[in-house]
Amino acid sequence: MVGLAGLSADSVRVAARSPEPDRGTPGRRRRRLREAALSAGMLAPAVVVYTVMTVVPVVVALYLSLTDWNGFSSADFVGLANYARLFDDPDTTRAAVVTVIVALFGSVGMLGLGLVYALQLKERNWANSFFRTLAYYPHVISSLILGFLWSAILGTNGAINNTLADLGLGPVGFLFDENLAVITLVGVIVWAGFGFNVVLFVAGLQTVPRELVEAAQIDGASRRQINRRIVIPMIAPVVTVAMVLNLVGLIKVYDIVVSLTDGGPAGATETIAYVILTRSFAGTDVGFATAQAVGLMVASAALSVVVTALRNRQDRAAAS
Amino acid sequence: MTPNLRAGARRRPSPVRVALLTLLFAVMTVPVYLLLVNSFKSQQDIQNSPFSLPFARISLDHLAAAVQSPQYNVLQSYGFTLLLVVAVDVLCILFAGPAAYVIARSLKRRTQFLLLFFLAGTFIPASALIVPLIYVLRAIGLGNTVTGLILHDVAMTLPVSIFLFVGFIRTVPRDIDHAAAIDGAGRLRTYWQVIFPLTRPAVITVLILNSIGIWNDFISPQILLSPGSGTYTVTTAIYAGISQYSTDLTKVFPNLLLAVAPVIIFFVYMQRHIISGLTVGALKG
Repeated sequence: MVGLAGLSADSVRVAARSPEPDRGTPGRRRRRLREAALSAGMLAPAVVVYTVMTVVPVVVALYLSLTDWNGFSSADFVGLANYARLFDDPDTTRAAVVTVIVALFGSVGMLGLGLVYALQLKERNWANSFFRTLAYYPHVISSLILGFLWSAILGTNGAINNTLADLGLGPVGFLFDENLAVITLVGVIVWAGFGFNVVLFVAGLQTVPRELVEAAQIDGASRRQINRRIVIPMIAPVVTVAMVLNLVGLIKVYDIVVSLTDGGPAGATETIAYVILTRSFAGTDVGFATAQAVGLMVASAALSVVVTALRNRQDRAAAS
Repeated sequence: MTPNLRAGARRRPSPVRVALLTLLFAVMTVPVYLLLVNSFKSQQDIQNSPFSLPFARISLDHLAAAVQSPQYNVLQSYGFTLLLVVAVDVLCILFAGPAAYVIARSLKRRTQFLLLFFLAGTFIPASALIVPLIYVLRAIGLGNTVTGLILHDVAMTLPVSIFLFVGFIRTVPRDIDHAAAIDGAGRLRTYWQVIFPLTRPAVITVLILNSIGIWNDFISPQILLSPGSGTYTVTTAIYAGISQYSTDLTKVFPNLLLAVAPVIIFFVYMQRHIISGLTVGALKG
């Protein structure tokens, strides 16, 4: 971050204004042609790998989603039948609802806790930096592993239920009660992800001018008034970006579902990504799986477009 | 800054702050504590007293068994995962850097369009892409191969990497390129010898983002490499092992500890870089 800020905007503007080398003589033209070929060569590896590994599969998905292919025998073109099935299929509907619940409540939980702790940890000192790191560390661990760890803690034979049993309290079905399992899933996701929001918000809070807060303090504003009236409105753009980042991240939740609940009990925690990979695709329903995948891509793209629009608006606001 | 105002506010931490931070400490450390102590206990001790650390009965046997386990060996999978991380990192830097340089320095509209083309990749969830990708890899003869997995991982890392590099290179004055050109360097040489060293902070950010992402990735290796291949990453080894022995906690905890340990050590060692790197990645990507 320091490095990014190191080069001033002025130097860029100066560079942009500097005159282009003049062109025209045959030697220069040949040189320019060679440079153009070289530029294409420098772009080529990235463009080729990205196209073959990302763009082509998307096109293939669009095609496969219009067929009834099972992955082995010949495929018949079925038009939009798979897409119609998306809305009829109870598994897909339930998974869509679970995904929306996870994305919505997970996002709200991460934002809320992120904000609460960012306000506590915004000053730069040793203790705050320790607590920020503590809140953040799950972000670098694979969600698959976090899910297995929490499932060993919250399962029927897990640490929490064994301790409750010692106190004479019955087992709590954190992972085995259909409703509670969804809440547990959201809880573990929030636990793993809120620290990232804390870090984002602290970065935002440190840009709030101190003079503003001090002026309000001198005017006799309470800490709470300062937070509500000055600090939170000033970091609103960062909050918006964090919210949409959370949403975009959460609509594709898969790993943690596999390891925490494996979709159970009775499919109560299956998300869309889980259904695509574990059910439709593994169940050799390739045509339908790709229709679900296309649906997820569209939802993800729509959310990402919202991010970009919000961010552009924020950049314009910052520039004005 | 007016020190007396601030110091006054700091001296007596409010009860709310104390309560919030105590709760944070408990919630964030208890799972790691349980992971740590239960990796050295018998099944009976884990079940009867999950929180205790019975010094008389702790043993390294379960951890040793996990280290030596012939099947789904997490320790062995470090090697393959590390190879994957290094290969993807190297290829990503080799491919993304020059491409980003051309995009950052070009004034042509169609080159600028390429940036959008790459950015579109960030919209696509891996779980949606991987099903059709299997058929593409099969068609080009890379089905179920490590090469196919590496190329897929590289493609997944390119969008954000190129975006970060372009943003950074644009802050490097063009005068530097012109000076290099006058000294007779071609574009490729200008990039590798002059611009690339200047973009070190961006390179570090990209390396951290990619390394953590590839190390933790589960979907791609799980689906692009069949279990029959016998090649496991840390995540696929853990998955294969734990879904088999999920009730045997003396296998679950030591294996999870082995999987988490290198990441935690790396994180503690590099935490400043990691946090700022991932924040930049998120705010810009």
